[in-house]
Amino acid sequence: MSTLDLIGVSKSFGRTEVLKTIDISLASGEFLVLLGASGCGKSTIMNIIAGLLSPTSGEIRIDGKRINEVHPKNRDIAMVFQSYALYPNLTVERNIGFGLEMRGVPKTERQAAVLKVARILKIDGMLGRKPAELSGGQRQRVAIGRALVREPKIFLFDEPLSNLDAKLRMEMRAELKRLHRLLGTTVVYVTHDQIEAMTLATRIAVMRDGRIDQIGTPEEIYDRPATAFVAEFVGAPPMNMINAILDANGLRLEESGQRVALTIGADAPREVILGLRPEDLHLADASEEHAIAATVDFAEPTGPTLIVFARHGGNPLVASLPPHLQIAPDSQIRLTFSRKNMHIFDRASGNRIQT
Amino acid sequence: MERQNLGFTIFLYVCAALLALMILAPFAWLFIMSISSTNDLVSKPLRWWPVETDWSRYRILTDFTPNSHGAALMSALGNSIKIAAIATVAALMVSVPAGWAVSRTPAVGWSLWLVIGTYMLPPVALAVPLYMGLAGLGMLNTKIGLAIVYLTVLAPFTTWLLKSGFDPIPRDLEKAAAIDGARLDQMLRIIILPLAAPVIGTAALFAYLLAWDEFFYALLFTSDYRAKTVTVAIADLAGGRVADYGLIATAGVIAALPPVIFGLVMQRMLISGLTTGGVKG
Ligand SMILES: Nc1ncnc2c1ncn2[C@@H]1O[C@H](COP(=O)(O)OP(=O)(O)OP(=O)(O)O)[C@@H](O)[C@H]1O
Ligand SMILES: [Mg+2]
Repeated sequence: MSTLDLIGVSKSFGRTEVLKTIDISLASGEFLVLLGASGCGKSTIMNIIAGLLSPTSGEIRIDGKRINEVHPKNRDIAMVFQSYALYPNLTVERNIGFGLEMRGVPKTERQAAVLKVARILKIDGMLGRKPAELSGGQRQRVAIGRALVREPKIFLFDEPLSNLDAKLRMEMRAELKRLHRLLGTTVVYVTHDQIEAMTLATRIAVMRDGRIDQIGTPEEIYDRPATAFVAEFVGAPPMNMINAILDANGLRLEESGQRVALTIGADAPREVILGLRPEDLHLADASEEHAIAATVDFAEPTGPTLIVFARHGGNPLVASLPPHLQIAPDSQIRLTFSRKNMHIFDRASGNRIQT
Repeated sequence: MERQNLGFTIFLYVCAALLALMILAPFAWLFIMSISSTNDLVSKPLRWWPVETDWSRYRILTDFTPNSHGAALMSALGNSIKIAAIATVAALMVSVPAGWAVSRTPAVGWSLWLVIGTYMLPPVALAVPLYMGLAGLGMLNTKIGLAIVYLTVLAPFTTWLLKSGFDPIPRDLEKAAAIDGARLDQMLRIIILPLAAPVIGTAALFAYLLAWDEFFYALLFTSDYRAKTVTVAIADLAGGRVADYGLIATAGVIAALPPVIFGLVMQRMLISGLTTGGVKG
């Protein structure tokens, strides 16, 4: 149970600036998920928190105490590496128990702890093997076990479930959630999986090019994305981005000239982006005025929904519609949406415009 | 590829056979010489196999009577084993930490190249300063003195070899060990050195063989049974009134045995492929 603060942390490798003033402040027991495209600096943040890299500037605090100068082994942090980093010459049992072994935990106690974690992770039958004799998913679970077996102040998970099959991933996700509730340890977690992010996080930080675009609860991130980047990055299929002009009377869609009346307006016409989530689009009745016309390219039934890929002029438009609808390619459809589900961003800066 | 082209397979085997022949033929001839009578060795045309095998020289050279050929060779053999062992152990003690440090700190890699650059100097150029240095320390004609000279030759080579051995060991393992609370010595002892064992074994083997085979410095810096090595002792056999080629060949065969035994022992360490499986990809 510890608080974690990153204050103005930046990191450069030579002349390339990988992190630019990162500010994160976590209360004790928070579960922070870092989201962001490959190469945006997520692992670098993890390494800085763990003490494996020192920041170029800025401060890291655990429980309010500056730890920049503290050696990784004294930070009391457990980490799951993106690369697993299992010790190839040691058995699974010794790999998992290594942290306890180094901290002088007696053997019998260690074995019991290792077995307990191995059972949770369903690798208790493989304790005698070497990492080379395991599948990718099994190795990943050993790496998770090595972190879970300890009771650290902070857990760092760098894409811990990336190599598991869908079913196992869901089970492990639930398990991590349960453990987090039970232990209440502060967690920083990197993932590319939207569902993991939405279900596990108490807060999500969406990163772009070494900066945090937005940090907030999953609901805030999903319902009120602060930038067009966050809006497009979170959610699957991604949010539709439609070019429009905001003027005194509301929105005018650039492709069709269609108008959407709004209570807010701009004195001078302003180039904006209208963001609409595919799941917020519905088929419109013929009488509905408030709708966008589109030409269907094709439709993909995914089971619970029918994903329709269409075009509004040159603008691609994706809609998640109820299954069993009959929608033929090249047919014309009209899609409606409620005003409260509109997201409007400034086109130049990408920042959200309050509606 | 499911099936290899037959011609290619034959080509591979021919190459392997040629290589084996090139390596083994001189040794085979050495052995044949060592069991041929002097007459067979000087007869023309040359006999490829002696009329009658003659093992007497092995008896002569393993004879410990003072001042005999045998005693000289045996004491030289002992010196060589000790000197090569000291030089090898010392070289590893220097180059394991050095190789690891250079591998983990690419910024200082140039220093290793500088040291390896000294190999460009011919040994003759170094002989005089080394001689004067050893004389100044009173270490001429001592095993330790020669071992120290060998250390200067071996350490750059083994450091370079070990550096390339440490390079493929992922640094994430060291990071993970640090987070797990391992001290530097624990991390090296439990994780890194076992993973580098095959390369360390290779380095030890090559260092030992280099030290064993060295002739030039040994000839210059040793003068009698106290430090003379086997390479010099064999040369002494050739320096007598009449060179007995059979005797020299026999000494050669005997001199080849310790490194071969050492090599067979080390072979168990040289099993590679231990580093796989730790990291993704
Ligand atoms: N040692 C280094 N030297 C120079 N550049 C580095 C170094 N380590 C990372 N980088 C750069 O820093 C950036 C961020 O890397 P990082 O590993 O943090 O990305 P990431 O967000 O974890 O990506 P991924 O999702 O692919 O794991 C990348 O552009 C990478 O090329
Ligand atoms: Mg990463």
